[in-house]
Amino acid sequence: MLATVVAGLSVLPFLVLALLSVAGPWEFPDLLPTRLRFDRWTAVLSGDSALAPCLGLSLLVSTIVALLATSAGFVTARAVADHPRRRLLMLLAYLPFAASPVILGVCLLYVYIRLGLVATVAGVVLSHTIFAYAFAVVFWVPFWNPEKLAYEDLVRTLGGTRGHAYRHVILPLSKEPVLVCFLQTFLISWFQYGLTLLVGGGKVDTLPLRVYAYVGEANLGYAAVASSLLLLPPLVLSWLNRRVIGRLA
Amino acid sequence: MTTAASFLDVQGLSKSFGAEKVLEDATFRLAERQTLSVLGRSGCGKTTLLKLLAGLHEPDGGSILRRGADITRVPVERRDVVYLYQEPLLFPHLSVFDNVAFGLRLRHVEADRVQKDVTHMLESLDLLDQGDKAPHQLSGGQRQRVSFGRALIVSPSLLLLDEPFSSLDAETRTQMQVLFKRVAALYAITAIFVTHDLKEALIVGDAMATIRSGRLTAYGSKQAFVDDPESGVGSEVDFWESLKGGRYGNDQPV
Repeated sequence: MLATVVAGLSVLPFLVLALLSVAGPWEFPDLLPTRLRFDRWTAVLSGDSALAPCLGLSLLVSTIVALLATSAGFVTARAVADHPRRRLLMLLAYLPFAASPVILGVCLLYVYIRLGLVATVAGVVLSHTIFAYAFAVVFWVPFWNPEKLAYEDLVRTLGGTRGHAYRHVILPLSKEPVLVCFLQTFLISWFQYGLTLLVGGGKVDTLPLRVYAYVGEANLGYAAVASSLLLLPPLVLSWLNRRVIGRLA
Repeated sequence: MTTAASFLDVQGLSKSFGAEKVLEDATFRLAERQTLSVLGRSGCGKTTLLKLLAGLHEPDGGSILRRGADITRVPVERRDVVYLYQEPLLFPHLSVFDNVAFGLRLRHVEADRVQKDVTHMLESLDLLDQGDKAPHQLSGGQRQRVSFGRALIVSPSLLLLDEPFSSLDAETRTQMQVLFKRVAALYAITAIFVTHDLKEALIVGDAMATIRSGRLTAYGSKQAFVDDPESGVGSEVDFWESLKGGRYGNDQPV
């Protein structure tokens, strides 16, 4: 019973969000909107709304960030795993978490200005990647336990190269964590607001920025549509992840 | 060490990690188709010796000659020396058959021959009915046998075994020692077998060596090893003799 109540309370904000996104006039003391309107969604789906390019840009940025961070984190963690200064390197990897993304952005801003990366999509991708990469390194280091390192050596003594070890043993064993890391780093980028605002200079218009803009304009209907869109990919990815991981297991 | 022609000739092999000298001036010879048992306590440098021979560590000094050819700096994958870990390290995503076939497939051996050779290997290791199983479905002894098969099927010039039976129970361990002797003879293997178990070293080895604090002592014969007071054989014999004499037993009726 308690579980049902808790589950209901957890789902309630999302239901209200969905309702807000299709709500017509909804004034006090009406318990529900007097009319539903779907024009906001049709505008998004037909590409007429300003939200459609934001959605596309966010998907592009987050996908690139997830790909870069997952692959770079995988390789870096391998180097860290048997490095004599592993503890120091791990401490460095945790640094971006100790500071918030905005502080990281402030630290990077001067360099980005000099490199002409401010207010560009590339700059935003790079800044997200730096943050997500640190997460990916921390994520991958436990994967490279002594057993995985021994597999590498074993394949080599059996006559294979390091490439063979990766192709035939390490990568097949890393399918599941690759998916998890991709999802996590995608989400890190997907919900990023402060870094995008700072490095993007307001010109790289991702979905989280659009949500804040609509809220600032008191445009609750479109803020709800943008928020719903913001929730959609994580839900789809989580569902896919569970399906794929379940199949791999 | 042996009257037979030397197959492996190791001279002055040394290795340090930082300030710590792990192996100092290790020198020994090994004849073809012989097994050298290397006895030593944990942390004495046994594993380092094997990793140097396999090419997984770079030596600080010394040389490794195989049939007179210097292989000290030959890359691991071209050295034709297989290193077996304490744990079987079977690839969990592959079946028993595919684990054993792994080395052959790396060498692009034809599928028909892979099928024939792996079947033969599984048969000689009493694993013929286990080929389709996943590694986690096997017992500890079976996993270790698959690990043997995976190493032996590529016919390495030298097999290095790093306490391969240490995680097995006493009975399985004894069975594996017997199996190793049988398979070693069948496939004409030259091997170095590292262990901390005196009895196992004597059962498995044709030649004997010990390592103490990074210093290797090779014996000219098994008898020379048995006769050496440092080998521990004497004190072991004394223990069992005294047990037989009742000194350690409680012969008082309860």
